[in-house]
Amino acid sequence: GLGRDNEQSLDIEVLKDAAKKALINALNSVNGAKTLVLDPTLAGPLGLVTEVALLKHHGVDKMFWLEPGPLTSTTTNVIYLCRPLIKYVKIIADQIKIHSKESLKHRYTLFLVPRTSTLVSRILEEEGVLGDVTVSSYNLQFIPVAEDVISLEYDNAFKELWVDGDETVIYNSALALDVLQKTYGQFPRIIGKGDYASKLATLLTRPLPEQPSVSVDPLTSPAPFDSLIILDRHVDMITPLLTQLTYEGLIDELIGIKNSHVEIPLSLLNPPSAPNPENPGASLPSTSAIITPVLNEKTKKHVLSAATDPLFAELRDLNFSSVGKRLSRVAHRLDEDYKARLQAKTVAQLRDFVGKLGGLQTEHQALKLHTGLSEMLVPRTRTNLFSKSLEIQQNLVASYETSAQISAIEDMIAQGADMQTVARLLCLASITTGGIKTRALENVKKEFLQAYGYHLLPLLLSLSAPPLSIILQNPPPVSMSPSVAVNKLPFTAIRKSLRLLIDDNPEALEELENDISYVYSGYAPISVRLVQCVAQKSGVISNPAEKVSVDTPDGKGKGSASKKLFAHPIVGWKGFEDILSTIPGQTFDIVQKAPAATASRAPSISSLLRPHEQTTTTAIFFLGGCTYTEIAALRWVGRQNRGRKFLIATTGIVSGASLMKSIANDGKRGPGKRDTTI
Amino acid sequence: LALEEASRMTDQAAVVTSVKAAEKFFSEDKDRSFEAKMMDESARLLTIQQQLEKDSDGKVKFFGQSVSETVHICLVNGMGKRADKVKAEFKVPDKRFWYIKLHALTAIRDFVSLEAF
Repeated sequence: GLGRDNEQSLDIEVLKDAAKKALINALNSVNGAKTLVLDPTLAGPLGLVTEVALLKHHGVDKMFWLEPGPLTSTTTNVIYLCRPLIKYVKIIADQIKIHSKESLKHRYTLFLVPRTSTLVSRILEEEGVLGDVTVSSYNLQFIPVAEDVISLEYDNAFKELWVDGDETVIYNSALALDVLQKTYGQFPRIIGKGDYASKLATLLTRPLPEQPSVSVDPLTSPAPFDSLIILDRHVDMITPLLTQLTYEGLIDELIGIKNSHVEIPLSLLNPPSAPNPENPGASLPSTSAIITPVLNEKTKKHVLSAATDPLFAELRDLNFSSVGKRLSRVAHRLDEDYKARLQAKTVAQLRDFVGKLGGLQTEHQALKLHTGLSEMLVPRTRTNLFSKSLEIQQNLVASYETSAQISAIEDMIAQGADMQTVARLLCLASITTGGIKTRALENVKKEFLQAYGYHLLPLLLSLSAPPLSIILQNPPPVSMSPSVAVNKLPFTAIRKSLRLLIDDNPEALEELENDISYVYSGYAPISVRLVQCVAQKSGVISNPAEKVSVDTPDGKGKGSASKKLFAHPIVGWKGFEDILSTIPGQTFDIVQKAPAATASRAPSISSLLRPHEQTTTTAIFFLGGCTYTEIAALRWVGRQNRGRKFLIATTGIVSGASLMKSIANDGKRGPGKRDTTI
Repeated sequence: LALEEASRMTDQAAVVTSVKAAEKFFSEDKDRSFEAKMMDESARLLTIQQQLEKDSDGKVKFFGQSVSETVHICLVNGMGKRADKVKAEFKVPDKRFWYIKLHALTAIRDFVSLEAF
């Protein structure tokens, strides 16, 4: 639905099936009943490709978390499934040693995700247990998390790259992208921005080790790749620092979405006890102003998926300000549908209604869920601290009274705002102004540490140190390397050239949604503007929707499809080279030669035919994670033209809070235990 | 730089020692005077917290809390004078102090003091 034209897009479900099959093969490679010991960080990603019943079906008797301490297993076979981290391997070695001391006989198999590493074998050897373990790999790569989004679901990518300097994830990303090429056809062109992004692109153009790939004949692929755009997270640090304002983004900010799951009160999930056709509007946010927060209520994990919940598909990318309106519209329509029952006179009409009832109840249930979720969000968006933080953000991106914003941040510390919010604002202040005045910076850092604890000093240091360098002082200390100065983002210039800030006119904003900036109520993410520089050049310069906004009030009506312009072919950064050169990080544009075997076949032919009516897919890979808001904005861009689909690929889905958390956790592991995997 | 990560130990004395080590480490680099100062504060706070725990007969846990939290705990446990002392020691700005006090008094429902606020 969603005004999407009938153009076919890539079938990404095959990736999920492949992941599932590979897991089953891994399990079946060990005969008999087995005990599965699972890396807790893998549970979420695995939950997206399989379910417990399937594991049981393939001989898994019991499951444990991989944790320090002895392991009790009733089966002979023990399977470990984990990321190749040193701490995990040490735990495994310890458990095996305890077993052998008690002379318990087990057969151990270790599956490393996504691939084995010599380091792991070496540690096992040092611990003297290498002989007891069969080491293998489970190649879990891209997992579909929405119909147009695939993710490696790897939470720590950002921190590993920009704080630890561990580049393993680049290599793993290259392997995963290579599987995409083998599955759907080559990326004829690789365009991108950012130093790590450039490293990734270089890796991709080199021969990579042979991997088992999903075989989909690229010839039959409905929308072959026209290009791959790689952006690394450092190219646009501003976007994740801002509070996301789309429905799905806000849920992630305020409630938290992990591996597409959100934890919500059980009462929202129970089917409606009795449909109440007289009064479905009673649950609307507008009519229930007083909401008692549901605390201590049992919560349950719920998958937010547009495939099973069409209402969610409708809501997820909307600015939260228009969600209430949309919900009430759906409620009224549902009300009408229920009322149809009263008008049903003949038996045939009644039967017709009963036939629809199931669908109505599902819809009713979905409505209840999203109304409930919105009700949870609304009070949190009304708090003083929330609006204060939005205000500071908006002033900062507009470069309005910047020094006053620092004292506003100090006020927030005083009022007990949470640590991530304050850290985000500090980074934002530094990036948008090109550095904070030394005195002010020391003051606010002192406030920060006194309020949240001195153990966060490493966080501040990580944020200030290269390569991240997102909290800087102005003027810079003499000792600072000139490279950091070069890496400064000329924010005010880019704001102008990429048209990041749209004068917001609240009324126009709600209905028209005529630019991607709607996602942040008037601010356009740099990352998405960069994609537009490649794939929708006119969108950077002016609002493309303004021209078609006449046809339907909600801007995505039925008539607009015919008026949509056909997407222009990919010609790299053309026209935007100057702007790109002012943004730190390497800019690249590589044309890949088709491999000899298939050179004469499909890709080249279709690229000849391409200018007319062949739909193509542009893959966008975010190295270091992307936000729900960026996904929403990219979907919006995708709707503006015919003939081009976007496939969004990422190392994981992030928010400013999750980035701060991952960096702050750094210190908690103790010295010398840097988890490297090479 | 990784030295201060040693501060995640269970033994209180060991924590103080490692924070001091980090302070020394930072003080060797003249660009890190801010960090050294912060570590000095941190060590002082830990010592004060140890004293506070002793004074409250170990009933109240202070160790490892932040400055704001320490003030808060003092207030909640009726150690108002101590809170003022911590405030002075760490030069907690009035604004933050009053917010903490407001929250603390609300938490223990001390409406008499709230009135007097």
